[in-house]
Amino acid sequence: METDDVPLDDKAKRMRDLLSSFYAPDPSSTDNAPSNPGTLDAINTTSFDADQYMNLLIQKSNLEALLQRHVEMAAEIKNIDTDLQMLVYENYNKFISATDAIKRMKTNIVGMEANMEQLLDKIMSVQSKSDGVNTSLFEKRERVEKLHRTRNLLRKVQFIYDLPTRLEKCIEAEAYVDAVKFYTGAMPIFKAYGDSSFQDCKQASEEAIAVIVKNLQGKLFSDSESIQARAEAAVLLKQLDFPVDSLQVKLLEKLEQSLGDLQLKTNDIENASMESNDPKQGKVSDSVHITAHEGSVRGFAEAISAYRVIFPESEEQLIKLVQDVVVKHFETTEQYVKGRISSANLMCVLRTIWTDVLLMDEVLSEAVLPVFSLEAAQIALKQHVASTFNYLLQDISDALLRVTVSSKEAAEEHSLQVALEASKKAVLQGSMDVLLDFRQLLDDDLQLLVQLRDFIIDWVQEGFQDFFRALYDRFLLLSGRNSSSRQDQGLTGAHGEKVLAGLVLVLAQLSVFIEQTVIPRITEEIAASFSGGGARGYENGPAFVPGVICRIFRSAGERLLHHYINMRTQKVSTLLRKRFTTPNWVKHKEPREVHMFVDLFLQELKESASEVKQILPQGLARKHWRSDSNGSTASSRSNQLRDDKMTRSNTQRARSQLLETHLAKLFKQKVEIFTKVEYTQESVVTTTVKLCLKSLQEFVRLQTFNRSGFQQIQLDIQFLRTPLKETVEDEAAVDFLLDEVIVAASERCLDPIPLEPPILDRLIQAKLAKWKEQNPISP
Amino acid sequence: MQGGSSGIGYGLKYQARCISDVKADTDHTSFITGTLSLREENEVHLIRLSSGGTELICEGLFSHPNEIWDLASCPFDQRIFSTVFSTGESYGAAIWQIPELYGQLNSPQLERIASLDAHVGKINRVLWWPSGRHDKLISIDDENLFLWTLDCSKKAAQVQSKQSSGMLHYLSGGAWDPHDINAVATTCESSVQFWDLRTMKKTNAIEHAHIHNANYDMKKNHILVTAEDESGIHIWDTRKPKSPIQELPGHTHWTWAVTCNPEYDGLILSAGTDSTVNLWMAPTSIEDEAISESIAESPAQQADPLLNSYSDYEDSVYGLAWSSREPWIFASLSYDGRVVVESIKPFLSRK
Repeated sequence: METDDVPLDDKAKRMRDLLSSFYAPDPSSTDNAPSNPGTLDAINTTSFDADQYMNLLIQKSNLEALLQRHVEMAAEIKNIDTDLQMLVYENYNKFISATDAIKRMKTNIVGMEANMEQLLDKIMSVQSKSDGVNTSLFEKRERVEKLHRTRNLLRKVQFIYDLPTRLEKCIEAEAYVDAVKFYTGAMPIFKAYGDSSFQDCKQASEEAIAVIVKNLQGKLFSDSESIQARAEAAVLLKQLDFPVDSLQVKLLEKLEQSLGDLQLKTNDIENASMESNDPKQGKVSDSVHITAHEGSVRGFAEAISAYRVIFPESEEQLIKLVQDVVVKHFETTEQYVKGRISSANLMCVLRTIWTDVLLMDEVLSEAVLPVFSLEAAQIALKQHVASTFNYLLQDISDALLRVTVSSKEAAEEHSLQVALEASKKAVLQGSMDVLLDFRQLLDDDLQLLVQLRDFIIDWVQEGFQDFFRALYDRFLLLSGRNSSSRQDQGLTGAHGEKVLAGLVLVLAQLSVFIEQTVIPRITEEIAASFSGGGARGYENGPAFVPGVICRIFRSAGERLLHHYINMRTQKVSTLLRKRFTTPNWVKHKEPREVHMFVDLFLQELKESASEVKQILPQGLARKHWRSDSNGSTASSRSNQLRDDKMTRSNTQRARSQLLETHLAKLFKQKVEIFTKVEYTQESVVTTTVKLCLKSLQEFVRLQTFNRSGFQQIQLDIQFLRTPLKETVEDEAAVDFLLDEVIVAASERCLDPIPLEPPILDRLIQAKLAKWKEQNPISP
Repeated sequence: MQGGSSGIGYGLKYQARCISDVKADTDHTSFITGTLSLREENEVHLIRLSSGGTELICEGLFSHPNEIWDLASCPFDQRIFSTVFSTGESYGAAIWQIPELYGQLNSPQLERIASLDAHVGKINRVLWWPSGRHDKLISIDDENLFLWTLDCSKKAAQVQSKQSSGMLHYLSGGAWDPHDINAVATTCESSVQFWDLRTMKKTNAIEHAHIHNANYDMKKNHILVTAEDESGIHIWDTRKPKSPIQELPGHTHWTWAVTCNPEYDGLILSAGTDSTVNLWMAPTSIEDEAISESIAESPAQQADPLLNSYSDYEDSVYGLAWSSREPWIFASLSYDGRVVVESIKPFLSRK
């Protein structure tokens, strides 16, 4: 079935192709692209080569296929023949129908010419008639038009003569709009003929207009008029060619003046809020002021909106004006912040400003006041945080210095303790207050503050970080200044020096207090209410790093403690230096009594001990401490050894001194002289004593003694033993050091023969008696 | 008594205070030291570090008539050195020459080249110019500064000039500027004074109390390091005497001696009466100055300038000397007569 259909279709298609190719303008364009002549399909192309085709067919096909091909080809040729016949026939057909159409067209055209001529005649007659009518009416129309023009002119002249009275009437009725309309209408005529025929008229109407202008101005400036009316007045004035710009400037000045009023009121509010620190009386006036202020701001806002309606082009100036207001507000705020204020007061001010800003924003949103004031508020708040911390720092150093001064005046026994307590309180309470204060800022729901919340948190954290660094610097400064003034004062200002040394001790203890108590409290507080923030970016971590601060203060505490001990020992050092460099030890006289430097030394220690007692806590129970420590065996051993040595020293020390000490050292454990200082009374005093004794030993080593000199040293040291042991924690080390001094003296002695024990005893007893006599109370 | 120390020990018979590097000995690392014993026969020891660096060998042992308070080796002749000595009642100073040894150890007579006997008071130091051959010597007693001309061949020393330090200034020591042959610093109780040797006039002073010892930086001009009783070590620029460039904590008790490394910048060695020797690393160059100042503001980040503390001593350490031949080696001398030679090589790499 398919095989039947396909050739049929092929046939019709070929026919169409052939026809179109016949009629087509360019037959070559229908040609297919030349295909390869080497195939059997090439039979339909123009480049068909019969011989080649034959050869190809014979080469490629067997006999049977050739026969079949022959049959096929014969059929195809027959087909083509019939097609050709049909084409010729159809062509002929079309030609015949074309001739028919032409014949029909020719018959239709023949009757038309007569009709056309008739039409032309009729049109000609209509035209001639209408011309006749036109000429007959022309004259009359001319006259009518002339009359009409004269009438109009007369009406205008009448109007101009009436203008002054009309204007008067308008002024009476306050119908300025009409008046202006009339006047502007008459303007061109006045301009043309004003100097001649209408002179009087012109003058009269100009006078009237002058009145109008005045009235309009008055209207413009009067606040009682409605905004609409004022706007109209402005428009009218502009129409009258009145210099509106100057008016605008004037009005702006007026606004600026009212701005000055606003400023004053802000100050009032600040004063009021300052007063409001006194709880009752202040509050009333505060609220009164606020309402008053709000009223004036509202008025200002209205004025601005009116102005804007009146002078629509003046936006820029207004924006500037309004921003000026805000800037001034914040300027005063910044001034205010520089003073000492609480956050509540600041908030009060900020709130006022914010309401102002909102009010003004309503009327002039183009000024982007909220954004603007947000930035300004950011600065103000930052300053506030900074200044608050500054004042806190000031407070603390004041607390420290005040006590210094007061104790200078009246040397009370517990002045240092008072100082410590006061400064402790200042630090802890102060920072807690500051935090509480800032909490208020965070808790408030003022939009301004809510937006700045993250910033505030960061600032507070940073503030604390910086504050403690600054405090640390201040501590160093306070103690450092002491160290420089100490040299100036020398021995003359012994009293002042004592106070300053005490201050260093107070600072040391305060550092410990800060590290152990204040920082954890603040960290807790910050974690509770100042967490978050993050405007700084998280990669930086939180601004407040308690670990760092703790470390700073721990080291500061240690440094200050060492500094205190140094100051103390330095004084003793000076004493000892005097004692050992002044006399000629080689020509020393026989010892008669304990030398007075011992008294001075002990007095220094007592002073130091009394300071220490006020400030530092007592250490652990002594016995407990000793039996617990590693040094216990060493100390007991060295004790025993010392006893041995002492008994022997009286008999045969003179000989083989060096050998003995060397041997002793061989068998003795090294006594730790320089141990770590603890924050206890005992530790500090012990360290001081140890350092002083070591200095004593070094001074002795630098001298050469005769026998009496050596004996003097022996006596002094022997006397020192008992009182020192009473004050000191580490008896073993002190004993060791005292022995070392005697050993050093004997080494540096030309003739080291010690005092006989009875004499030694007697001299010490004598001194003790004298000592008790002098200060009977002391132990 | 050796303990676990890395150092090499050497025992003197008696107590001693001073040790000096024998700078002129270019073949060996040697030190010279003398004992301080009031009642015994004092000795001068010439010690040499064995070539392996593991042992200290006594190269010479000489008897010295009195106890030695100061000893300095001549920087250009290894056989010459100076001592300051005391009989207990009076002081003296002398220049000595070590006799030619030729292998035998027991020819222990020192040859006295010259006596610096113009002094009346307590002599403290004799200084050689540290940078090379110079025929002048400086001796310092309590009140005076003497400049000597030394003629080794003629075996004579003559006072060239003399200057009193002024009232109430008890000189305790000094240092000769290695960069300027005419500049000397002296220490006294309340200040460091600088002298111009040509005019013998005071040129400058650093007011600072209780300085025990001063030492010029061998590499950098104008840098002076001082050691004090309580306040540790200060590094000064002599052009800016108002305040120190840097402050180091020093020792628990007095810082007795301080000395700058002759080769490595900023390495400072200090010895103290707390029986330790501390090795410091101090940035002293100008650009480091600014950094160290900014660091001082935030002490939390401050790097510890203390590189190491050698604490294996039984007594106060007074003597301290770098070897100029092997600048990573130093010798220290504690009062009990122990010389300990240590190498700082492990700390150099850390820089």
